Amino acid sequence: MWNRIQTLFSGKSSKDVAKGRLHLVLAHDRTGLEGGRLQEMREEIAAVIAKYVQIDPDALDIQIETHKRETQLTVSSPITTRAT
Amino acid sequence: MGRAIVITSGKGGVGKTTTTANLGTALAQLGFSVVLVDADIGLRNLDVVMGLENRIVFHLVDAIRGKCTLQKAMIKDRRLDNLWILPASQTDDKDAVTPDDMRRVIGELKAHHDFVLIDCPAGIEQGFKNAIAGADEAIVVATPEVSSIRDADRVVGLLAQADVSARLIVNRISAHLVKRGDMLSQNDVIEILALELLGTVPMDDAVVATTNKGIPAVLEGKGLAARELIRIAKRLAGVDVEVSEHVGLFTRIGRALGLSASPA
Ligand SMILES: Nc1ncnc2c1ncn2[C@@H]1O[C@H](COP(=O)(O)OP(=O)(O)OP(=O)(O)O)[C@@H](O)[C@H]1O
Ligand SMILES: [Mg+2]
Repeated sequence: MWNRIQTLFSGKSSKDVAKGRLHLVLAHDRTGLEGGRLQEMREEIAAVIAKYVQIDPDALDIQIETHKRETQLTVSSPITTRAT
Repeated sequence: MGRAIVITSGKGGVGKTTTTANLGTALAQLGFSVVLVDADIGLRNLDVVMGLENRIVFHLVDAIRGKCTLQKAMIKDRRLDNLWILPASQTDDKDAVTPDDMRRVIGELKAHHDFVLIDCPAGIEQGFKNAIAGADEAIVVATPEVSSIRDADRVVGLLAQADVSARLIVNRISAHLVKRGDMLSQNDVIEILALELLGTVPMDDAVVATTNKGIPAVLEGKGLAARELIRIAKRLAGVDVEVSEHVGLFTRIGRALGLSASPA
């Protein structure tokens, strides 16, 4: 019962949480990249992009997702528009 | 020439031995000639699950070392005419056997039987490599839990590298937990592992009870798990059986009445 109430409020069942965790864990397992190393890579990529365009390094988003056994790395970042 | 199928999982305790014993028994009941090979050297269990522990004289490692013939090491199940088990050694360790030894033994067994089912040890080290060495196909057993699916994924990758095709059995699924949103469904597991589903076996107390007695559940024929395992055996043998969805009775009635269209 409590579970259902929690689900009602958060919109997420424990199975959804398990699924989300699995997607991340498998992305790391399949690439051999630990969560902490992923963070480091994120900072380096942000630094490289920042050499060419103005970005907010904190807004840079890295995702590793797996669909049908194909693993995809996606980097996305909003570009700060120049004031002039 | 028969087919050699390894039953594997990565994670321990998810039901490899239970699945091997029951599928082998069900295939023998269907009239096929079947050998069950315990590749879990040092931690053998297939003998007790099959209830044949008091009849072992020689084992796999003896046969590999030439202490006896392969035939001598095999135990014939007295309940069925065409079912044998090749027990593992309990005293040796996994290094007593090499992948080449296994390829030779499995090849010889395949020449005389329709199905050779290999019960793989947990893990992905030497014992796993030995167990998959002689196999043409694999059955990956996973329970609907994060740790089991994670390990299964690792095993799927290793099987692909070894060129062994794999299909999936989801074991110990509980329909009411799935319904409540507290357990991954068979479709969730298939989606994550991207494997072809061979079948889903429900969590069933009858499995525990029959295993206590050393009788495979399919032999007593009681319970939902036994029923699914028999269907899976038929599917393995190429007899066309539809993969069933695990939905509750009320959903099924609802669907029959056209009340609910959404699949589980
Ligand atoms: N569908 C099921 N319903 C209920 N109990 C089950 C089911 N499948 C397996 N079990 C029980 O789960 C336990 C572990 O099963 P089993 O020994 O087959 O796992 P295993 O993968 O071979 O383990 P190991 O990795 O140690 O070799 C046993 O007690 C067995 O009876
Ligand atoms: Mg076992």
